[in-house]
Amino acid sequence: MRIIVGEGSCGLAAGAGAVHTQLEALIAQDNPRGVQLGITGCIGMCFLEPIVDVYEDDGTLHRLVRVQAKDAQTIYDAVMGGNLELLGKLAITPEDEQFLSKQTRVALRNCGIIDPESIDDYLAHGGYQAITKILETGMSQEDVIQQIDVAGLRGRGGAGFSTAFKWRAARDSQGEQKYLICNADEGDPGAFMDRAVIEGDPHSLIEGMLIGAYSIGASEAIVYVRAEYPLAIIRLRKAIEDATARGYLGEHICGSDFSCTLRIKAGAGAFVCGEETALIESLEGKRGMPRLKPPFPAQAGYWLKPSNINNVETYANVAWIVSHGGEAFAAMGTENSKGTKVFALSGKIARGGLVEVPMGTTLREVIFDIGGGIRSGKEFKAVQLGGPSGGCVPASKLDTVIDYNELAATGAIMGSGGMVVMDETTCMVSMARFFLDFTAKESCGKCVHCRLGTKRMLEILDRIVAGKGEQGDIEKLEDLCYAIKDGALCGLGQTAPNPVLTTIRYFRDELEAHIDEHRCPAGECRDLISYSIDKTVCVGCTACARQCPVGAISGERKSPHEIDPALCIKCGNCKTACRFGAVKVA
Amino acid sequence: MSITYTIDGVKVVAEPSDTILTSATRAGVEIPTLCFDKRTAIYGACGLCLVEVEGVPKLLRACSARPQEGYVVHLHTPRVDRARKTALELLLSDHTGDCRGPCKLNCPAMTDCQKYVGEIREGRYKDAVSTIYEAFPLPASIGRVCPHPCEDACRRKMVEEPISIAFLKAFAADKVEADGDPYEVQCEPDTGKRVAIVGGGPAGLTAAYFLRRYGHAVTIFDKQPKLGGMLRYGIPEYRLPKAVLDREIQIILDAGVEVHTDTQLGRDIDFDELREQYDAVLLAIGAWKSMPMRVPGEDLEGVFGGIDFLERLGLGERPTLGERVAVCGGGNTAMDCCRTAVRLGAKEVYVVYRRTRAEMPAADIEIEEAEEEGVTFKFLTNPIEFYGEDGKLTGMKLQVMELGEPDASGRRRPVPVEGVTEDIAIDNVLMAIGQGANCEGVTADLLTQRGTIACDELTFRTGIDNVFAAGDVTNRGAGIAIQAIAEAQKAALCINNYLEGDEVRARIPYFVKQEKTPEDFEDEPKQNREKMPGLTPEQRRDNFDPIYFGFSEEQALREASRCLECGCHDYFDCRLIRYANAFDIDPERFAGEMHDREDKPVVSEVIIHDPDKCVLCGLCYRICDQEVGKTFLGLYNRGFSTVVNPMVPDEARTFCASCLKCVEACPTGAMKSVPAVERVTQIL
Repeated sequence: MRIIVGEGSCGLAAGAGAVHTQLEALIAQDNPRGVQLGITGCIGMCFLEPIVDVYEDDGTLHRLVRVQAKDAQTIYDAVMGGNLELLGKLAITPEDEQFLSKQTRVALRNCGIIDPESIDDYLAHGGYQAITKILETGMSQEDVIQQIDVAGLRGRGGAGFSTAFKWRAARDSQGEQKYLICNADEGDPGAFMDRAVIEGDPHSLIEGMLIGAYSIGASEAIVYVRAEYPLAIIRLRKAIEDATARGYLGEHICGSDFSCTLRIKAGAGAFVCGEETALIESLEGKRGMPRLKPPFPAQAGYWLKPSNINNVETYANVAWIVSHGGEAFAAMGTENSKGTKVFALSGKIARGGLVEVPMGTTLREVIFDIGGGIRSGKEFKAVQLGGPSGGCVPASKLDTVIDYNELAATGAIMGSGGMVVMDETTCMVSMARFFLDFTAKESCGKCVHCRLGTKRMLEILDRIVAGKGEQGDIEKLEDLCYAIKDGALCGLGQTAPNPVLTTIRYFRDELEAHIDEHRCPAGECRDLISYSIDKTVCVGCTACARQCPVGAISGERKSPHEIDPALCIKCGNCKTACRFGAVKVA
Repeated sequence: MSITYTIDGVKVVAEPSDTILTSATRAGVEIPTLCFDKRTAIYGACGLCLVEVEGVPKLLRACSARPQEGYVVHLHTPRVDRARKTALELLLSDHTGDCRGPCKLNCPAMTDCQKYVGEIREGRYKDAVSTIYEAFPLPASIGRVCPHPCEDACRRKMVEEPISIAFLKAFAADKVEADGDPYEVQCEPDTGKRVAIVGGGPAGLTAAYFLRRYGHAVTIFDKQPKLGGMLRYGIPEYRLPKAVLDREIQIILDAGVEVHTDTQLGRDIDFDELREQYDAVLLAIGAWKSMPMRVPGEDLEGVFGGIDFLERLGLGERPTLGERVAVCGGGNTAMDCCRTAVRLGAKEVYVVYRRTRAEMPAADIEIEEAEEEGVTFKFLTNPIEFYGEDGKLTGMKLQVMELGEPDASGRRRPVPVEGVTEDIAIDNVLMAIGQGANCEGVTADLLTQRGTIACDELTFRTGIDNVFAAGDVTNRGAGIAIQAIAEAQKAALCINNYLEGDEVRARIPYFVKQEKTPEDFEDEPKQNREKMPGLTPEQRRDNFDPIYFGFSEEQALREASRCLECGCHDYFDCRLIRYANAFDIDPERFAGEMHDREDKPVVSEVIIHDPDKCVLCGLCYRICDQEVGKTFLGLYNRGFSTVVNPMVPDEARTFCASCLKCVEACPTGAMKSVPAVERVTQIL
């Protein structure tokens, strides 16, 4: 029997480390049934972490969720006593199981299943067979690219550019030295797809990069990963060492003429370094600022040599495509968008986490069938796609299918896969302001439109959420948005207006309520709301008063309470604390 | 192989190495840019060179985009204009500085005070005079009499006292005269157009001067025996010697001006004939009528209009005054009247003014000097009756006043203290409470209700096609000489435009300005202004001798060296302000948080960087890196906080070779080389 603890960053943050330590201690004392204790990466069900998988020898899986250190003894007893019924109270519910059962996993195929720190586990799951097949059967560069072309793989980092096109351009570029780069500078707020892949299945990234390097003729590959992903870096480093030791990296890979090294460059956390040319500048040791395109990296990239850049998820699909054939990948999805896409589902969703679905799935299916809809029975309002570069899609567009073009038509973008769900209590103006605040801070400062344009947009939004919006502000924002889209140098600036533009497009009435009536319909903007207690409902339980951090609530026990608006800081603690719905926001 | 394409219909040939920008430049098509320099790698920060190419969905940056055969490029489309204007508006929303000094901006004639003060400091007096003449003629005269709004705005007053800008002007003009090298007007070739100017005062003379420079024939008609207008007939000899005025008028006349003096409009010449005989007519007839007080007894013998009194003096008369004279009013004319009365022998001279000294519109120095000469000021009093015996004035009744709420002018309104009056015995009253225009001979259609001539503030056109007006006679009424001069300067431009068939409009350019406080100058060493040498009160009280001697050269040099040089040193080369004025932008559209960094980084011993003026084009650090081969400068921070700074700590500043290439490359005034003079001082 095997006990596998989910130890991605999310699991560890939820306490998986302590569970592991406890189990390890118990097993070390006495292990009559020869139980193996192992780890795996993130399975994607972040809302259920820590997760412990118990595999019987016949492969039967018992998935235990929200496991705490104190549960270790129970698990140990159940496993050692052969009485797995005991695990019932920890077992995943059938509803929650739908989270996984409705997914199709390609990029995440091994995540949460294999031990990311074991190359043998990867090999046992068909790892390195794709590169071996290429090298041993003598597939040409074009043969490989052809498979990627047939698969219709498009960049999963955001823009959705054809991967085969980029690889061919880099291959056809003249130059002795070529580079293959992986963009693992995942910076969108709420996005963690790439981290999950590196932490959960680093060898699939390495194998995908090797195939790419072979296809364009690169002998050096670099993973640019943000330093804020320490666990990813540790696991990737170990994977590189193991792969090198086994001959999958280095000179004469699999005994062929193909040689390729791989190294890690830890980025210092600038969002703009996720833009490919800024990433290259950073790799070269310069300040991370975008270059003008053309020339594209395929012609003059790292050290002005032909270079190819894809993101983690894109590479994670490659070995699967080579193994299963491009047609198998292209069989999934829509006319324009093939295969699957990983999304990081977060916000006011019932079941948040990582999901991978075939292209062509509707937003409704992802949010309601997989994600379980809105938490605590509130109304769905909008979903924000693509992070700071994306936009919000309202309820009326929930049947939009996941497809690069279809999503772009809504004003949002596919993006790297951030999917933030909002309910009726989310102010869309505040949401737009949040993303603008992010891009304004992360602007590299190079081009005028982005550096100053986002700053001025933010100032306008700041005054609107403070109830000081002026007539003409919406028009001014729109004008600025279009000027920035036309004038900004790189993708960061060109897409920065998207959250604002979609808010204007779908939630103009909310903006107008802020400006014209100094009212926040969602009740979120602190300068525009006030809290009060409905005396006919209040029972005087004092729960609110005890939660108030500033002592703004007064009243005798068992008699109605009152909020002093002069003291109230509008934190909302009282509303959360009240079990009778007596706290009103207006 | 070269390719051919078009930009706004102009055929452009490009080589394979060309971008749209480089090939356009060679073809003589200007594409705006702040960050391009062919010595450095393409950068693409400013976003001004955006162009739209037919069939290309995105706007292209001309600095980086390669043209293709048959490209149809447009420099102005709604999208390009929006993106480019927005870039400029955004840049100006965080660009702190002073394009021009407050002195210049506060001068109605926009005289470049900072420039001529600097030229005086460097001993370049002739250049200084030429600089003044770019704004107006008559510098020695105006330098003596101007109430100098420039000095009111001068920031040196935040250190101790403003620069003596007006006296420096007079100094420079006197100096070149004394050196025998006076200014000579350079005129464009004759255009064959003829302009009649009615009125030879400061406005008329200024217009004549500029119109001659433009090459037009000019004829001045003036009712007085001599030219000069109020400068001659309104300002007493002790303030402006007639000899100085004569010599400066002659400079204008030497440019070839036809003059008809003793010629009054409506009496000697007919308005309609004038405008038929000349291509354009400028009415600059001034405001020569003393405003009546509207109190009983104004018709008594011994009551004069102040300006009439001064005019008689200017005509060579010596009006007889009694022993006790009261002057009503608090302006400069009132001061001229009371001080003249002292000089004419009056024993007791009063100035009756209904507010307090603080509200007096007259220049401080005039008030001080009048007091020194023995004038008694009766503040917070207002004449309510003149009375006398046998039709001859013997006294006046004064209503005692107090200050109430501020009025439209911002000054506190004087209100009567009920029932409190005062009587003083006097022999004469000089009424100097204001001047009105006398527009006899001018078609009534052109006049305002106040009897002035109605004209447009930007075009100076009246209701009649070829008739313009400027100076005291226009809508705004009487003001100081430099205001009349400023109007005439602009009116001359408008008349020139009119005669050339261009748009008739004096365009006021946009300037970047900033506010300063005394705290900004705490570290500035103190150096008080030079004292103007002159006659003592005793020496000057009984005669009309000029009261000032003028600065000595040493004094002038010292005084000029006090200038703080507020205006940007790079104004004439600044591409940002040029584009800002060329592209019809609204600099306030995106007004928001602005940088005002206290410490300006010292790059090296000779280079100072002002990040508040910086547009982050990156040229300084790119030139340093790619052209000079050093990486002395670099970018710090992100987003709105991005800033150019030296990359090495203070002690390593010697690393910079002070080649100044960063300073030369800077498209604005953000990179500044410390002037050579200061460098010497620093080393010493």
